[in-house]
Amino acid sequence: MDATTGALRQAAAQLLSEGRVGLVVGYGRFNGTASAAPAFVRRPEDAERLLFDAFCFSNLAVYLTKKEVRELARAGKSPAIGLVVKGCDLRAVNVLLREHVLKRDEVVLIGVRCPGVGNPPLSKCAACDAHEPEGCDVVVGEAVAQSPADKADRYPLVAPIEEMPIEKRWAYWEEQLGKCIRCYACRQACPLCYCRRCVVEKSVPQWVEPSAHLRGNLAWNAARAFHLTGRCVGCGECERVCPMHLPLSALNQKMAKLVEDEYAFRSGRSAEEKAPFSTFAPNDPEEGIL
Amino acid sequence: MATAAANTLFQAPAGWVSATAAKLRAAGLEVLAPVKRQSDVVDLAPLAANNGLATKYLNTLLPLKRLFFPETEVLLHYGQGESKGVALNVPAAPEGERAILGCRPCDAAALAALDLVFKWDYDDVRYARHRERTTVVAFACTQPNAACFCTSVGGSPHGEAGSDALAFLTADGGALIKPLTEKGAKLIERLDGIVQPAPDGAALPAPPAVAPKFDVERVKPWLDAHFEDPFWTEATLACLGCGACSYLCPTCHCFDIVDEATWNRGERRRNWDCCSFSLFTLHASGHNPRPTQAARYRQRVMHKFKYFPDRFGRLACVGCGRCVRTCGAGQSLLNVLGAIEAKGSGIP
Repeated sequence: MDATTGALRQAAAQLLSEGRVGLVVGYGRFNGTASAAPAFVRRPEDAERLLFDAFCFSNLAVYLTKKEVRELARAGKSPAIGLVVKGCDLRAVNVLLREHVLKRDEVVLIGVRCPGVGNPPLSKCAACDAHEPEGCDVVVGEAVAQSPADKADRYPLVAPIEEMPIEKRWAYWEEQLGKCIRCYACRQACPLCYCRRCVVEKSVPQWVEPSAHLRGNLAWNAARAFHLTGRCVGCGECERVCPMHLPLSALNQKMAKLVEDEYAFRSGRSAEEKAPFSTFAPNDPEEGIL
Repeated sequence: MATAAANTLFQAPAGWVSATAAKLRAAGLEVLAPVKRQSDVVDLAPLAANNGLATKYLNTLLPLKRLFFPETEVLLHYGQGESKGVALNVPAAPEGERAILGCRPCDAAALAALDLVFKWDYDDVRYARHRERTTVVAFACTQPNAACFCTSVGGSPHGEAGSDALAFLTADGGALIKPLTEKGAKLIERLDGIVQPAPDGAALPAPPAVAPKFDVERVKPWLDAHFEDPFWTEATLACLGCGACSYLCPTCHCFDIVDEATWNRGERRRNWDCCSFSLFTLHASGHNPRPTQAARYRQRVMHKFKYFPDRFGRLACVGCGRCVRTCGAGQSLLNVLGAIEAKGSGIP
């Protein structure tokens, strides 16, 4: 057991025994394999099931809006949820706070200093400037040297697609989005897709065709990218869970880059920030209509 | 000409899949074979020069079912007629003979389960036509992985259910082929010149080991008695309610019927649907009889391991392991069934 896992277990056990949280959502071993999977811990002695390593991919913030998980916490000593977060995941929590979906006292944030996940590391980890989870209630793990992350490094998936001639680009998206089977794993794994009724589920009128044909798939994936514009924090969970391996991060990076270019705004850096598309300002020049 | 009598084993030389595909195509058949689509993605698709045959693969990404019950298909075109009234146009039933080479035995076994549903109280025209027109040649499994559990649900890496013939690929690119049905025997007869009777004494390889993961006999008695149980909530917390497991499942067969229309014309389509979605059972009133993910996941387990066996006398799971491998949340059917088995055995 490494020091980070040890500190994590200790912090979780303490929060549970002190009654500060009714439930800790963290990572545990998956099925006796080297992989990690979400773990839900309610008793201090079960904190031994928690761990942190390079296979802790999931953005657990998605569970904060899940009814069953909230109810489980409420059945414990405190309705608050202890959530294990990497710096990147924390940004999604910030958006939930900013959008008033979550109150700060409903969550106790157990931040983990993360050197990057995956073997080889995920591409998002190469450009990470959130090794240090800021604003957490507890932080565990050894400090990670922060390499200066340049704006150009943040959106590496955009240029290769933009450089394609338009016909080729269309053919590319036709092929990629044509594969979508509409399982909605992208939506369900997304911490920010918390709508109680998704637009694709509305049938009167039917805004988005639900069939897995190119027209419907294009509409669905475009609708989702637009709805996440200025909100997406780039955790990459949608792409990771996609069974059809759609390049969804490329879509999200394109939109995030536009928002940073037009508004100098990056989503999720704090819970107090004013988001471009949900902020009224009388002096808004309205030059940034996408 | 070779006659494919029952129990006769055939052999084919290196390059037989491409030769078979060419010969069958020349005879007017559509031929689908495992083709590499991305680095680690293999799907059943027409073989062509620029998408070569995949030989080393665990299984296809998408299940075999989609070639019989596709993710979306048009049942009916409708529109405003020339005069007053509505013009209806039912698309022609699928036709043309086809051969599928290289699905895995688990996926073929799933067809045996799907047949029971699609030919049950109503003979589903489109599914039935696809079945009639298709000869299935499964490739015996050589390298199952840790998530595979066919042997725990009555199958085998060399399972014969649902296939018309079973091919055992050899290291030199050839194969031993065992016809299993009349259809399979006929297909082999057409491959005269490529496939010939194997010499006497030709022996099939032993199936690779697939470790038993749970005792299914102990699962159903527990399911019979525990529709209501706190276990369902405990065991399904990680489930995020997407349809990846169902859509990649070779036996899941729920569908939705939708109309997609402009102002004066449209299509009625049949699309895959999934009991993991909260929308699946949502009533127009707003009431949802399966209000939690626990209730929805329970339905998935119950359908495969209780309701389907109760009605049809067999499981609706073939142990391909796709659901375990694909789930991004680590919600493992193997874990759930293992825990249920322990409960069914009285192990606390």
